[in-house]
Amino acid sequence: MSIIPYARADGALYWQVQARRNIGVRSLFLVVLAFLIAYAVLFPGLFTVSGFAKFTQSWFPLALVAMAQAILMLTGGISLAIGATVSLGAVIAATTMGGPLGIAGGAAAVALAGLGIGAATGFIVVRLRLPAIVVTLAGSFIIGGAALLILPRPGGSIPAWLSDLLAGDTPAAFVLLVVVVLLWKLYLATPLGLSLYAAGENPVGAYRSGVPVDAARVAAYAISGLLSTGAGLFVAAQTGSGDPVIGTAFTLNSIAAAVLGGIGFLGGQGTMRGALAGSLLLSLMISVMFFLGFTPVAQYVAQGLIIIGAVAIPQFRKVQQ
Amino acid sequence: MAPLLAARGVSKAFFGNPVLRDVSIALQPGRVHALLGENGAGKSTLINLLSGALRPDSGTIEVDGRAVARMTPALARQAGIAVVQQELSLTASLSIAENIGIGAYPKRFGLVDYKELAARAKAACKLVGLDEPLSTPVGNLSLGRRQMVEIAKALYRRPRVLILDEPTSSLSATETKILTDLLGRLRGEGVAILYISHRLNEVMALCQHVTVLKDGTCTADRSLEGTDAAGLVRLMVGRDPGDLFPKWQPSGSPGAAISVRGFSAGLMHDVDLDIGTGEVLGIGGLVGQGQEDLLLGLYGAIPARTVSATVNGVSGLPGNVPKANALGLAYVPADRKREGLHLIHPIITNMMLPSLARLPSLKLRSRKAERQKGRDLAAQLSIKGDLQRPAQALSGGNQQKVALAKWMPHDPLVLLLNDPTRGVDVETKREIYLMLRAFAAAGKAVVLLSSDTPELVHLCDRVAVVREGRVVRMIERAALSEEAIVSAAMGAERRKVAA
Repeated sequence: MSIIPYARADGALYWQVQARRNIGVRSLFLVVLAFLIAYAVLFPGLFTVSGFAKFTQSWFPLALVAMAQAILMLTGGISLAIGATVSLGAVIAATTMGGPLGIAGGAAAVALAGLGIGAATGFIVVRLRLPAIVVTLAGSFIIGGAALLILPRPGGSIPAWLSDLLAGDTPAAFVLLVVVVLLWKLYLATPLGLSLYAAGENPVGAYRSGVPVDAARVAAYAISGLLSTGAGLFVAAQTGSGDPVIGTAFTLNSIAAAVLGGIGFLGGQGTMRGALAGSLLLSLMISVMFFLGFTPVAQYVAQGLIIIGAVAIPQFRKVQQ
Repeated sequence: MAPLLAARGVSKAFFGNPVLRDVSIALQPGRVHALLGENGAGKSTLINLLSGALRPDSGTIEVDGRAVARMTPALARQAGIAVVQQELSLTASLSIAENIGIGAYPKRFGLVDYKELAARAKAACKLVGLDEPLSTPVGNLSLGRRQMVEIAKALYRRPRVLILDEPTSSLSATETKILTDLLGRLRGEGVAILYISHRLNEVMALCQHVTVLKDGTCTADRSLEGTDAAGLVRLMVGRDPGDLFPKWQPSGSPGAAISVRGFSAGLMHDVDLDIGTGEVLGIGGLVGQGQEDLLLGLYGAIPARTVSATVNGVSGLPGNVPKANALGLAYVPADRKREGLHLIHPIITNMMLPSLARLPSLKLRSRKAERQKGRDLAAQLSIKGDLQRPAQALSGGNQQKVALAKWMPHDPLVLLLNDPTRGVDVETKREIYLMLRAFAAAGKAVVLLSSDTPELVHLCDRVAVVREGRVVRMIERAALSEEAIVSAAMGAERRKVAA
């Protein structure tokens, strides 16, 4: 059909789209910045290499699980098994890396476990059309049980040099996070990655447009599993050993971070940069309140109030419009 | 020349209910083919068969003159068939360009080639007059602009066959003009176009050939040359009512049940309406012109404004559902599965739901009194069988009777009915009609919103025809005919060039 002319290529489209995605999270970025400044004032050590390293290390696993949760929420799903998957990743790392598999083999085992568990969960949710919240709740029991089978009580070991590299005085965690974010950008630039949004927000329309909706959703679960066990490996490196219940708190914190970051529960709403900012905000909030001498109870209450506020403010704005 | 896409003698039934019977249609290159028919005539089903979303029970779909054994959406795409559906297939959070290309992105090293995508999406946007930046999220656009993105998305795929299902329903006059010009050019390029619209003027101006469906059968397949709008309306309507409808007898008495001036709610604007006691007032028009908002607004289920209003002698609108109930208003929704009934709960619970507050004994529910009431209602409406069964065990017709029955203990003065006979069998329809007439004869008011034109003609004392949020015509009993309603609904009598 020749009537459709071939317009001059506009090379800037990708960057314009990226810039547009910032609009929704600008105010969040400002809040994060404010907390960062507060943190820097309370803890000037942030500007030393080791201070910066410690700071990113405390944020890094939360950032990974926030991404793991956000990618599922973007497809309209959710996972209650993230904490258990983190634990499983930690015990696999702690039991394999010191053994004959070595570090590379252990890391591969961790990655395979994450991808496999994620893909299996995704398959059950997507192909059998079962509710994600129920499947992943059941999954959390199974995965948590498996972690306990592998390592009934804290133990195992992570080679000391790996612990030093990841959780020592070098900002390796920050570098890793940058790599993960770049990989995510790469994935989102593939047709399958970009389909995530359509599959989450308008699955019927997406299917009619030729989008492999089911594949996009299963892939999201697999990636989510990989990010979770990866977070587990890092946590094991931080502590130098494996603990079969160490990940438990990450399930709800991952949801909290994603929600703070503006990810909606209905699918297709929000951005990964938002979820990352949400996880950073959560991490900063905890540190700042600790420095300010809040009691743990007050910390939890404040955390809860801030999360409700973060969800309510956009709603109020919508009503006003 | 072989048609690019054709259906030969296709039939389709849903749950034994025939929707299409032995229908044929052939889309020729370089021709804009109109598909006309009333609500429920089978137009959408025919589109779904042509695009592979459904498969016919009998008959064949042909592409380039060759029968396709098993048409699927994927095959249809490969064959260059693009459909612009009524419900949009867009993703609000993605940009215009990403939406246009989705499912068919240009790739480079496995990644979306944004440069190529921008070029091709820009070209498609230019054709439909979309000048917003390609990076604009679709969620920021108005409904009309989204419709244009949807059309650009179809064009991006360079279709040989373009099927448009009511593309202009949400477009402004300027956008409609751009679209009609565009379709003219595409036609010149040899594209086969199937155009579904309820705007007859548009069809007359744009199309060369017409297929008319009525109750699932094809009543016309001919050139539009020498056909006038009135002739087309005649081809769409006219059904032998048989003895389905009770004999009409005047029952109107001079009183006014509801009287509103300058009423606005949802899509409806500035409506003046008087609903008399003892009358059945029909609300007609094409689906989705605001009729439902009229009922819901009167019922207080959505916000409504009026200059003045009187409801059963009380001035002002009820404003919320409990007040409306207290004023004697009852509403029976169209979607009985979602709004009318609680399907998994027993029939008796459904019947008693509006009355729970009315059977207090020490402020507790009296099961005995409820059972008695339930039996009375069931006898009255001839609902048979155990009332403890879940409501979903009933047929559609009987479910509708339960949805009606639950209001009867309230003794309502005004019944607001939203398409009460949709998907209801003939026997039950007749029972419902008898009930409504009896209700009116008892000096109460019935407001009957219906997508079934014969029903409006044979049952109502007056019919208000709604179009684009306004009551465009009030047809009195003497002048009631299907043709009168359909031409008012389609704006056929208004001499306005498709702008």
